[in-house]
Amino acid sequence: MRVYATLVYLFLYIPIGVIALFSFNAGRHASQLQGFSIKWYGKALNNPFVMDALETSLIVALVSATFASVFGAMAAVALHGIKGPVRTIFDGLIYVAVMIPGIVIGIATLIGLVTLFDQLNPMIAAIWPGGFEPPKLQMGMLSLIAAHTMFLMALCIIIVRARLSGMDRSLTEASADLYATPMATFRQVTLPLIFPAIVAGFLLSFTFSFDDFIIAFFVAGSETTLPIYVFSSIRRGVTPEINAIGTMVLGVSLVLLVTAQILLRRGEKKSR
Amino acid sequence: MTKQPDHISKKQFMEELQRYRKGSVTRRHFLNVTGLGAASAVLGAAVPGLRPRPAFAAGEIGDRVVLATWPNYHDPENFDAFTEATGAHVQVNVFGSNEEMLAKLQAGATGWDVFVPTNYTITTYVGEDLIEPLDTALLPNYDPNAYDPRFAEAGSVDGKLYAVPKDWGTTGFVVNTDHTGGKTLDSWKGFFDITRDTFSGRTMVHDYQLTTIGNALKYFDYSFNSVDPAELADAEKLLIECKPHLFAISSDYQPSMRNGDAWMSMAWTGDGKQLNADIPAIIYVLGKEGGEIWSDYYAVPKGAPHRAAAYALINFLLDPKVNAKEVLAHGYPSADAHTNALLPESLLNDPILYPAQELLSPLEFGAAVTLTDPNRAELMARFKSA
Amino acid sequence: MTQRTRNLLLLAPAGAWFLLMLIVPLSVVFIFSFGERGPAGGYVPALTLEQYANLPARWAAFRNTMILAPTGTLAALLIAYPLAYFLAVKVSAKWKMTLLVLVIVPFWTSILIRSYAWIFLLGGRGIPALLDWIGIEGVRLINTPFSVLVGIVYGYLPLMVFPIFVSLDRLDKRLLEASSDLGARPWRTFLQVTLPLSIPGIATGCMLVFILLMGEYLIPALLGGGKVFFVGNALVDLFLQSRNWAFGSAVAVTLVVVMLITVTIYMRFISRVGGTRDDVALM
Repeated sequence: MRVYATLVYLFLYIPIGVIALFSFNAGRHASQLQGFSIKWYGKALNNPFVMDALETSLIVALVSATFASVFGAMAAVALHGIKGPVRTIFDGLIYVAVMIPGIVIGIATLIGLVTLFDQLNPMIAAIWPGGFEPPKLQMGMLSLIAAHTMFLMALCIIIVRARLSGMDRSLTEASADLYATPMATFRQVTLPLIFPAIVAGFLLSFTFSFDDFIIAFFVAGSETTLPIYVFSSIRRGVTPEINAIGTMVLGVSLVLLVTAQILLRRGEKKSR
Repeated sequence: MTKQPDHISKKQFMEELQRYRKGSVTRRHFLNVTGLGAASAVLGAAVPGLRPRPAFAAGEIGDRVVLATWPNYHDPENFDAFTEATGAHVQVNVFGSNEEMLAKLQAGATGWDVFVPTNYTITTYVGEDLIEPLDTALLPNYDPNAYDPRFAEAGSVDGKLYAVPKDWGTTGFVVNTDHTGGKTLDSWKGFFDITRDTFSGRTMVHDYQLTTIGNALKYFDYSFNSVDPAELADAEKLLIECKPHLFAISSDYQPSMRNGDAWMSMAWTGDGKQLNADIPAIIYVLGKEGGEIWSDYYAVPKGAPHRAAAYALINFLLDPKVNAKEVLAHGYPSADAHTNALLPESLLNDPILYPAQELLSPLEFGAAVTLTDPNRAELMARFKSA
Repeated sequence: MTQRTRNLLLLAPAGAWFLLMLIVPLSVVFIFSFGERGPAGGYVPALTLEQYANLPARWAAFRNTMILAPTGTLAALLIAYPLAYFLAVKVSAKWKMTLLVLVIVPFWTSILIRSYAWIFLLGGRGIPALLDWIGIEGVRLINTPFSVLVGIVYGYLPLMVFPIFVSLDRLDKRLLEASSDLGARPWRTFLQVTLPLSIPGIATGCMLVFILLMGEYLIPALLGGGKVFFVGNALVDLFLQSRNWAFGSAVAVTLVVVMLITVTIYMRFISRVGGTRDDVALM
């Protein structure tokens, strides 16, 4: 078992190792090692487009994951408590939202929003007070966040509901029997129970959004996310700059992870 | 651009350019014959700083400009200089094919201010009402007489200027001569024949209908731009026959050529230059039957959100001093005589950038119809999914 | 505030979001699928079934997808399950979270960059060179269905590990102890206690991976060398190369319908295997 797990971790980390290795390549190209250098890190950090793309990706991922996990958890809690047509409709919507492939979401959002904006823009221009340039709805960071949030929210609802359905109903009933207000029951019983699921949903959403290429490819308008930047770059040959970016993102994730672990451990010890 | 009677023909121009490059005529002779030296002031214009250029105060044109272009196609330092001079930051979006740029523009709301279309696409953009005629008053650095007309005329449609030249190049193939066994490959016939023979599993073709179908058409000596159903059927048969022998269908061929997985690939000038510079065994070949010659342009899409900045950026990039730095960075030849006057002799004599006349003559510019022809698009899709 | 009002308020943001970002776009796609391609591409309104009649032109893409998506899902499941089991049952609480997070950390670098690493590993200078060295010659891995499969498993492993881990972790360890106390062999305990209880996790994991694979574009594009063609690749080509919005919409609608049917059948099947429908984490 242990051997097997080690093998799987190797499978997961060998490509990462290769990426890191090539990021120190002195040569210009990703497939030939030509000595050791850290110049690509400097290049990446000084490349405003890389930094812009990274910033866009981080903002989109953070905002989408927050919206998705919060609204998703809200919806999940509500759906847990109701039956009837509203629930059926939502079940159907969630079903469709998670089932539709990202590429169809991308395409549908693109042509749907473009068609919608074509209708709305003249109307906005018509009612806009004179003297100011009317705002023009167009594809961009907001449409990307909206598209990501839509399907990630469905994912979060599912994750939280899975947790809720595993929850012992007698707990909330007991709480109610003890005359706790619904709000108190929620705060003291339900929320602590579903909190891990919300966090899991947030993390999963963040990962999805940060890594998403295909939806952004169609929906991002004039914005460039990191995956779009990388995709465009590898089309005509990757430089180790891309490897350096990947390694840095990974390094930062690992540092955050280790810090979180240390803080958690410390917190546990203190509380004992 | 409309034909001017006092212009020498394209062919003559190219011949003179070749002679000049080979050193058999002096620069003065070259400039006089080609009309580039019509006024010595033009020569002077090659020296930066002499030409009038509006100085933008910071903030005057807004704080940003969005450029849609191709990967590895600019010198980032030039953008920094632009930001310093004007206060506008340049956001660069990179794309992989003209079809993709057109698709994005057709979908609307790209947010682009400047983009870089290839010669044969411009009439479609005009027809679709996607780009605006350029206001040359805002482009003082644009000197129509400085350009080889062959690489500038596609920028004008019905006498109106819609796009100004960026640079040009050819589409040939790169082949690793370590594996050819001394055999010379110099044609598209050779390209597709060896693919089905000793190069099986080692050849790459572009994921781009214009060049992949076009070069397959050249195998049969048909036009690179053919939309004739019978000719396209021959090309399709050839491509589908070759498919099991291909290493990949991809326009990202540099890595595979470099690590030795692929021995041969359709390629563009700049990639050929870069590969050859690093691995001399990889040579850049133009098929003797012909193929593509192309030129890229700067254009402004309709409804560009930062129009003033768009013009400022194009004008800045047209500055010969700036453009010379661009050429040194991307390795594609420029059609601007002012720019070339600033480039090192070695680059101007490079046979990859400037192939011999007999190789250049049979090359064709892409035709507008290929961009929109539904049959070519479907052929490519059938080939890919076969 | 009544409970009903509260519930509706809680549902409002999600509902609005689904309406604007799901129902409206999908309706537009559906309408467009009955239209025609404009002369220079794009969409021209029409009411025709021409696009659907043209679907056989993408048969190869649908066939590849319908073969490789289930194969990839199964491969990911077979590799992920033992790992999830190990993490949930065998690892001490102290290490559990760390090891679990280590499964997703690689996924914080772009899938593009990771696939690029596989291009190197599966390419001539990677594993084939290694095989060459130990005497197995002429192996070609990159740009084959196999390389696409490796990319798929690599790309989607955590999606499989996570839900299975959650379902196994929720499982009451006393059940396992009871089973072994009653003299059941480990295998029997696994087959009769652990496996049935983890079915919701398996169902969710397979579902997630399968859905993502049905619309996959990047992995075949990068590791299949353009020779392994999924419906996703066909769709990208239709919208970004030939700009045939009408036909693209028809292919998209067909893909969604195929998925709806496949997934619904799959859910029926799972709910029969896993007992009541409520047990299935999805729906």
